[in-house]
Parts: sequence; C-alpha cells; structure tokens
Amino acid sequence: MGSDIRFGWTGAIGSVILGATRSEGGTRKISYRVGGGTTLPFLDHAPASSPLVALEICDEPQYWPQIVRNYCGDLVDDVSAWATTAETVYGADLIRLYLTSTRQRNFSDIPLVGKAVEEVLSATGLPLIIEGSNEPGIDSEVFQKCGEAGEGERLLLGTAEAGRYRSIAAAALAYNHSIIAQSPIDINLAKQLNILLREIGIQQDHIMIDPYTGTLGYGFEYSYSAMERIRFSALKGDADLAMPMICSAIDSLTIKEVREADTAYQDEMAVAWEFYAGLAAAVAGAEIICVRHPKTVGRLKKAFTSLKTGSDPTGRI
Amino acid sequence: MTEVKNAVASGRESLKKRMQSILVLHGYGETAYHLPVSFALTGIDVRDRASSQDAYLRASNNPIIAAECLLSEKTGREGKEPSPYTGFIGDTVLRKLGYSLVDGSILGLALVIGTPANEGSAAGICRELQEKYMLTFLAGGVVPALQQSGVKLGLEYRLIPLGSTGAHGVHFTDIIARVAMMFGGVTPGDTARFLKYAAERAKAIVIVFPGLTDEEIAVVDAMRVLGFPIISLGDYRGEGWVEAPPEHAVRQGMEAKGIRVTVTAIPIPMGCSPAFEGKSIRKEEMYVEFGSGRSTAFELLTMRNVGEIQDGQVTVIGPEIDAMKEGSANPLGIIVEVAGRSMKKDYEPVLERRIHNFVNYGEGSWHVAQRDLIWVRISKEAVAKGVKITHIGKLLASKFRMDFPQLLDAVSVTLITDEKKVLAARKDAETVYEERDARIKGMRDEDVDTYYSCTLCQTFAPNHVCVITPERPALCGAISWLDGKIAYEISPAGANQPVKKGTLLNARNGEFDGVNRFVKKASHGEIDRCSLYSVMEYPMTCCGCFECVALMLPEVNGIMVVNREFKGVTPSGMTFSTLAGTIGGGAQTPGFAGISKNYILSDRFLQGDGGIERLVWIPSALKEELKDRLQKKLIGQGHPGLFEKIADETLATTIEELTAFLERAKHPSLTMKPLV
Repeated sequence: MGSDIRFGWTGAIGSVILGATRSEGGTRKISYRVGGGTTLPFLDHAPASSPLVALEICDEPQYWPQIVRNYCGDLVDDVSAWATTAETVYGADLIRLYLTSTRQRNFSDIPLVGKAVEEVLSATGLPLIIEGSNEPGIDSEVFQKCGEAGEGERLLLGTAEAGRYRSIAAAALAYNHSIIAQSPIDINLAKQLNILLREIGIQQDHIMIDPYTGTLGYGFEYSYSAMERIRFSALKGDADLAMPMICSAIDSLTIKEVREADTAYQDEMAVAWEFYAGLAAAVAGAEIICVRHPKTVGRLKKAFTSLKTGSDPTGRI
Repeated sequence: MTEVKNAVASGRESLKKRMQSILVLHGYGETAYHLPVSFALTGIDVRDRASSQDAYLRASNNPIIAAECLLSEKTGREGKEPSPYTGFIGDTVLRKLGYSLVDGSILGLALVIGTPANEGSAAGICRELQEKYMLTFLAGGVVPALQQSGVKLGLEYRLIPLGSTGAHGVHFTDIIARVAMMFGGVTPGDTARFLKYAAERAKAIVIVFPGLTDEEIAVVDAMRVLGFPIISLGDYRGEGWVEAPPEHAVRQGMEAKGIRVTVTAIPIPMGCSPAFEGKSIRKEEMYVEFGSGRSTAFELLTMRNVGEIQDGQVTVIGPEIDAMKEGSANPLGIIVEVAGRSMKKDYEPVLERRIHNFVNYGEGSWHVAQRDLIWVRISKEAVAKGVKITHIGKLLASKFRMDFPQLLDAVSVTLITDEKKVLAARKDAETVYEERDARIKGMRDEDVDTYYSCTLCQTFAPNHVCVITPERPALCGAISWLDGKIAYEISPAGANQPVKKGTLLNARNGEFDGVNRFVKKASHGEIDRCSLYSVMEYPMTCCGCFECVALMLPEVNGIMVVNREFKGVTPSGMTFSTLAGTIGGGAQTPGFAGISKNYILSDRFLQGDGGIERLVWIPSALKEELKDRLQKKLIGQGHPGLFEKIADETLATTIEELTAFLERAKHPSLTMKPLV
C-alpha cells in the first residue's frame, strides 16, 4: 500500500497479563499477554495475536438468556461441566464467570462464591474473568472472596465503575489480579476512572477498559465511536487510555429480533447478532470479545484468523 | 505531667543499649516481609544480630527498628502471648485488613496504647472508634481495662489486642509497613517512598493513655515521622503531641489526619433531594417566610480553622418555629461556618451559593436569591410533619459535608431568628460581602498563571474545550474561574483541569503556548490554536451550551451577539438555533464564538477584534438586561454614547436596515480596520 499504517502515532497500548501457569505461580495451562498494539487492529504492525474470545457462563442460570439455556440444556446447571465444555468443545480462549447467584434476594452465602470460583478454576485450564456481585451491599465480601479464591491465578475481575470500584480495586491489589474498568460510552469518563484507579494504587498493566458495548442496532455505533476515540487517544500518547479493551454486547441474546425469531432460526439469529457485534468491536480495537452463545465462539475465531490472512471476513471459510 | 522530650531522650538511650544485647533473632513466620519496618525502611532482611545492627544503624538509630528487633527477639525467646493477644499478625490476615482499607469498609487505623486511669474512658474511646469505622489496635493496660468494662475484642469487633505491654504497639507500624509494600507498591528500602506512603495514604492515628515507659514513649514519638498524629490523654506534653480530653480525642485525631466519616442520611423529618428543587411554595401553602422585604434576612458562609467549630452543630438563636405565627414574616440569619484543611477563603462565596440549592432540596423548604436579599419559606405541610428551624440547619450541615467530602471536615450552622441579633449579624455580613466584591472585582487574567478547562460537554461535543479565565467565564455562563478552580481541587481527575498559561504569544488575541498545548491535547489533537479574546482568529470551540453567539457581520464591519432566548431572525439572516446548529458540536469556527452573557461586560470582550466598538447589534431584551452595567462599562472605556448606537431588533432586523441604522448613528465600526 505504501502508506504509513502507524499514521505517525507515538503511543502503544499497554499489555495486561491474564492467567498464570504453574511456572508463573498459578495452575492455568496457558496465560495471555493482552494488548501491546501500536496501530489499529488487523493492520501489519498489529500484535501477532488475534483478539481473544471469552465464553460467558454463570453459576445461577435463572438469570441467563433462555436461548443459551435451551441450547446448552442441563449443562447450565453444572458450572464445572459448563466451563470444561467451553474449553474443550466450544473452543473458547477464556471463560468469563458471572456470579449470578449473588443476584438472589438477600444473598449472604459468601463462601458459595469462593466455591464457585474454585470449582471453575479446577474444571478448566483457561484463564478466568470473574464478574462479582452487582449489589453494592455485598461487594466488599464478594470481591474479597473472589480475590482470595483465585490468588496466584491472575484473574480479570469485573466490573469497576466510577461510583463503585473500591472493592474490586482492593481485591486486585491484595491478590494481584487485574480489573475491568467500565464507563458508559464516554472517553472522558473512561479516562477519569483509570485515573481514579491509578490513584488507589492499581498499576496500568492491571486494567482493561470496558467502553460499554451496546448491542448491534441498539446503540452499538456509539460504543464503536467511543472505542475508536479511546484507541486514537492512546495511540497519540494518552497513557491514561492506553489499556486494552474488553467488549461484551451483553444484550444481544435478549433483543426483540432474537427473542421473536422463528424457533427454527433462533440460534442462527442469536449467533449472527453476537457475531457481527463482536466482529465490529474487534475492528474498533477490542482485545477480548465476550459472547454467550457457544456457536459464536468458533465463528468469531475463524473470522479473526481470516482477517489476519486476508480471506473472507464473515468467517465462512 | 511527663515531658515527651526528656522521656524520648532517655528511651532512645536505653533502646540503644539494649540493641547491643541482641544475640539471636528468630523473626516471625507467616510473613514474606521479615521484620517489616526494618525491611521497608532499609531493605535489610533482619535475621540475626549483625543484620539487626546494620538496619538500626542504617535508619539512624530509629527507635521503631530497635523496638521491632527487641520484640522479635523476646517473642522468639518466650513465645507468643496467650489469647486474646494476637502478637505479630501474619500476612494472610493482613491482606484482608488491607483489603478493607482500600475497599473503604474501614476508614483508617488507630493505635490505642497505655493504661487508662479509669476503665470507662477507654471503652468510650473504643466505641467511638468502632462507630467511626476505624480499625483499632490495642497495646498495654488498655486491653485488660476494656475487658473489665465488658468490651468485646477481636477482629470482628474491629478492636485488636496486640499485646500486654506498650512495646507491642510496634506491631502497629509493622502492619503499616506491610500494607505499604503489599498495596502501595513501596519497594523495600525505598525510605522516602515509604514515609510518603505512611504520611499520605496510611490513615493512621495514635491515642496515648498514661503509663508508658521511656522506651515506649520514644517509639510512639518516632511514629510522628510516619505522619501519625499523636493524641495524648493528659499525661504527656510537648514535641507536637496533641493533648485532648477523652471525649474529643477521636475526633481530633481523625480531623488532624483528615479522616472523614461520610454522611449518608440526614436526620430531619422531611425529604431532601434535588428532586424537590424546582418545587416552589405558594403563599397559601406557606407556614412562615423570611426576607424579601417583608422581614430582615441574610445568609453568610465563612471559613474557620479546623478545630474551631464542631462538625454538625446546629444552634438556633431566638424563637423556634412553634413560636411564630402562621402566615407571618420573620427575621432570619443563616450563618454557615465551615472548616477543612484544603478550604480557602476564596471558596466562601462559591460555597455560599450552595445554600440556595440545599435549602431547596428540602421537601418543604424554599429559597431564592442570595446574601441579604434572600427569601425563604417553610410549608405548612412540613411544619405539620414536625420540621423546625433547626432542621434547616441540620440539612445544610449535612449537605455541605456530603457534597464536599474532600474539602470540608466540619460544618456548623447558626440560625438567628431574634430581630435585634439578626440586624447586628447582618451588619457584620455586609462587611464581608463588600470585602468579597472588592477581591473578585479586582481579579484580572494577568493576575493568575493558571486558567481552568472544562470538558464536561465532551460527552456530546467530543473535542470541545472551554478555557475559563478570571475575565472570561465558561461559555455556558455557569462556571467561573473560581468554580473551575474549586471543582478541580474537589475532584482532581474531573472535567475541570488547571491550564498553565505558558508563554504569551499574542497579547491582543489572548494566545498562550500553554493554553494551545492544553487545548491540542484535550481536543484529542483536533485544535492547534486557541485565542481567548478573538472571535475572528482561532476562536474557542463551541459545545452547544453557550448563552449567546457572537458573530461577525462583514457587511457592517462589526460583530453582533444573539442570546438563546431571542427567537427571531437576526441581521445575519439566521436565528439563534440555526446559528447554534452551525457552530456547535466542538468545532472551531472563525468569525463565530459561543459566549456567556457576562462576558459581554468583560474588558476582554472583542479585545482581539478591535474592542467593544465592534458591537453593532444585540436583542433588545438582552440589551435591557445588561443596560446599566454595559453603559457604565462603555463610559468607563471612553465610549459615551456608544450604547445608543448599538442596534436591536426594534431598530434593524435585516442587514440592510442595520447598515442604514449604523450609518445614521455614525457607529464607529464602519470606519474601523476591515474585519476580513
């Protein structure tokens, strides 16, 4: 092409290490160094690795999309088996465990949280992303437990927000994990949160930005624009935004188009919706794409490979 | 009374002697940080006689290091003390403690050391520490004293008995040292960083009962270097130890260290939320009112020194609401006193304006205007629910603390309803108002070296950057230079950042290299140059919130201003909303600038474009609004008669009419240097 694909940028995206193998003090089969890019994704100088695909699972399936429950059947009632299958059958790079059990009314069984984390850790050798409580009243205990249960494993803990980051930060600091910093589709709020985290003592190489991902057709373009700007700022040298990004278009499986699709095509519709949002997010710069439908995993991974090699980007190789 | 100085000297001497006697050292299990204070301060892994001497020497005979080595040696020899004493706390437990600190579920750490003269006082202090979310460590006679008073001890009660003697207090510092290394990223041996962390991050205080040995006094005194305030309950004097009666010890210690308890609920019998802000109280709904010409009323917020006022104290001087007749107008003086270590006198007027918002937050209270022009009403409904004058004070005291947690440590409110006393206090308040006016009036752009940015609007105008100077408020009119400064101090990572002016590039246009650098970065590389005082060359970007648009009219060689409220077509051929749509969104549009109404009155207005004589047209309502001040300004700048030469929509609605009018009026813009 002859043009400078670095566009005169001086910055680079920092990297975050996820997972620890035995030699690194953990028990994972593999660990990843996420980030490190110096230009936009899928260009020549981009890091050798493709975006990673995480499969999202949970420990209390009543809070999970019906479509996944239908597709996976009894598997969703056994979080260990679900994790194992995600690795061996679905081919995920990472597992993101949502501790949905904490969403039950007046939840107080904190040891259960630790148990779930430990079970999933022993059921899979993949690095883990853990989503703790989303109830401020129990944050402190839940994140403490998550951090402790995963000590040495370099988890990625989620999700810190501007008004609510102290417990996650504390768990990350105390047990050497990384954290997801989420801001509502706003570059300045993303930066502000990163600064707040830095002030509390979190190292930059322990933070991943979650720009908040709207579902395709339901605001994704705003997310895309925010991500683009975050990435441009980072490449232009803004260190407070130079973190890798993680995206989860979390509502993809519950939107009207998927819910109301003909039963025969429902899975296909769901996968398509997750796939195109995930692909677009990767193009905007996300290093980790999270999905919930098992069939989306392989399709995204194929697409990323083909983007690298220049073949059909829809993944239909 | 014990003189700390003498005791420290003798204690240091005795520690030094005993350090020589150390033969064998065992250290502690359950930690990766060896003897933590020695390790943090010197980087030396103290494990035997030689390394202990080395560390002691390296740290200039620091009593804490001596005490740490000696206690470790003793523990090695005699074993741990029996329960309830914890002795050295292992890393695993410490990690959890550190977690609660970072997490905010505990606010700080306290060491209570020594032997209380009577048991009750220790119990009171510890209960207060528990209530204020402090994690308290105990060493010495205070432990049996608490047990005798039936106080429960243990981690779950946030009261941790370290050991039976004052010497065990040294564990408090080994805990801080490990928190610094585990959570603060402090490298062992990096003394400066450790001391900085201990002083700035570790929220620790020490409360001292009598009965310490000289050695123990020397150790406690050495903790001052770590930035811990030492609160003495009577027996010790000098060397910066703060003497306090038991009932004030905790408060004083926490204030001295800047540990703040956040206020979450306001104990008053009415709702309090911004949701009620817009609700007015009509005459027939009103129980009593104050001010607005019907009675004397004023408000004043002033700053006091930390310790001079008691947080949350509300005093009513004069009759309460039940002594006031329904439907009557009564005198009222609202006096808010605030204290905080980062509070500054300059902030007073800005904070004072918040009284307006806060009183309106009350479901049954209403407030308009400011200073001695205020008008306050309390509704019948609120009074029926039991709201009294004192509750307005409670509301103010709590809201100030809630909204400015970084700035204010203490807020007390006095409400005067006695006519004579209100009049007397108002006199004092008026002196303060005058002083303030004089101070702010004199503020010029060249008096400061730092301006403030505002990027609040980047949510919808992604590359917009407002630069706010003393003489140029934000284009929305809502944020002055002082507001920007305070907002930055309150929230250092927020949308208002300091902008160093740097070198002056163009005095007429107000262009500075520091401002340019900042704008370039904050606009994500989009805008290279920004002149603060010009509409024509590199004007400031516009978000969408501007009160007015200033734009050039090349046909008449002048500049017109239109405000948001004006709905008609202007001589430019466009309405305000068309103009706003054209220039907003964060773009820089030469010839157009978004400005605040008050900026029209600034000496800097149009400075880069030839001065206020360029002003050819403004809507009549705006003209009327600014009339007195603008006329004064124009005369002051040597342009008598110019005000009448500025057209409005009653004189000209098209560019042709405007040209004709300006020619008739002999407006100076027509003969000035061409704009383009």
